[in-house]
Amino acid sequence: MSQQIPTEQETLEAIREELAAIKVPDAASAEPSSTWSDLDVDSLDLVEIVKALEDRYDVQIADGRLKAIATVGDAQELVQELVREKAGAPA
Amino acid sequence: MTGVVVTGRGVVSSIGEGADAFFEALLAKRSGIEDGAGACTGFDPETAMTGKEARRADRFTQLAVNAADQAVAEAAFDGIEPERLGVIVGTGVGGLMTLEAECKAWLEGGDRAVSPLFVPMMMPNAAAGTIAMRIGAHGPGFSVASACATGAHAIGEAVRLIDRGEADVVVAGGSEAALTGLCMAAFRKMGALSREGISRPFDARRDGFVMGEGAGVLVLEREDHARARGATIYGRIAGYGASNDAFHITQPDENGRGATQAMRATLADAGAQPADVGYVNAHGTSTPFNDKIETAAIRGVFNGANTPPPVSSTKSAIGHLLGAAGAVEAIVCIEAVRRGVLPPTLNYEDPDPDCDLDYVPEGPREAPGLELALSNSFGFGGQNACLAVSAA
Repeated sequence: MSQQIPTEQETLEAIREELAAIKVPDAASAEPSSTWSDLDVDSLDLVEIVKALEDRYDVQIADGRLKAIATVGDAQELVQELVREKAGAPA
Repeated sequence: MTGVVVTGRGVVSSIGEGADAFFEALLAKRSGIEDGAGACTGFDPETAMTGKEARRADRFTQLAVNAADQAVAEAAFDGIEPERLGVIVGTGVGGLMTLEAECKAWLEGGDRAVSPLFVPMMMPNAAAGTIAMRIGAHGPGFSVASACATGAHAIGEAVRLIDRGEADVVVAGGSEAALTGLCMAAFRKMGALSREGISRPFDARRDGFVMGEGAGVLVLEREDHARARGATIYGRIAGYGASNDAFHITQPDENGRGATQAMRATLADAGAQPADVGYVNAHGTSTPFNDKIETAAIRGVFNGANTPPPVSSTKSAIGHLLGAAGAVEAIVCIEAVRRGVLPPTLNYEDPDPDCDLDYVPEGPREAPGLELALSNSFGFGGQNACLAVSAA
């Protein structure tokens, strides 16, 4: 069975959970418009979050794409895109 | 004599947090050793750090940050020039808990399983770097590593930094959190750990050291700087001496050459005579070799007409804190001089003819008029440091 494309709400909840897992204080109030600096998330935190999302959705996020992830929303879209590609569904 | 005084003290140990609580626990003959180790079981890293900060720090950094926060709060040096504020905090082995966990993760899960936090958590200068960030110290900063002499070297080098005019205030000390399976197995394999799990320095039945964990951090300050701002002064690091056995990678020089040289250099640096010394806080690890050789070295330094001063080993209460030992024991000396009382050597019951000094076995001893104390620290690698502590 192919993987379901996660909804926007699902990816937001997933990111909030991963932020909480690394003890980011404002994890629960993260919104798609939140930047990493709004959340006091630095480059090391971001590597951890990306790895956790890769594990959760069984996708690979190429290092080159990290720079383009400036907000929570960017990460949500990238996860959805990678799952969609993996499922072979049309974009 | 140096121009460097102590304006802040911080301790995390298995018998108490805070310099006063720690020293009072020593006087009360409390032991923090349980099941063959002196763990800081009550330590909560999140009293000093946020959850996120603590998660990103190895335990040795967590312990160091807590001790540094205590010392810095006590010193209250608001308004100091950031470029004149340094941090020298060392460790014997660094982030060993992190190293063990990440090795396991890597062996089981491959490269992908390795945390991006591995290096910044494990590196031996992580504590010094983290403390510098917290207090905005832009002056010289680094860690030293000389195994069990680390804490004393860190304080001694910080004193030199201030005396050379390169800083006004330096946060200095040592930290260790090496109570891991790998580390305990390694020390056990070497025959260095007590099989009985009892630290009994200088006793005939001593059979090795007991590992402990903890941190000791001081705020060291140029005396005129401290006096100008009306700081509370807890004591002076009156002298510092360092030496190298150049003999064996783990065993002390049989003739105590390095230990003797370090004590003599410290007395010379302090401008003091042996007769001025009223207390020695021994390295006193409870290993058969160290305690015998250290005893002979102390006898050598204090020979002639003088009776050697009382000697005690506070490792009997908290175990051997490796890279933190010298810093915690410097604080013991500061409190001994400040309060005029000597902490005892615990578990000393059966005298060894090779260890024939006065080890203060009976309990704390009043020492009115105590003006100068020595703190000995001898590390694997043959690296030795000694500090002289006096009232300011």
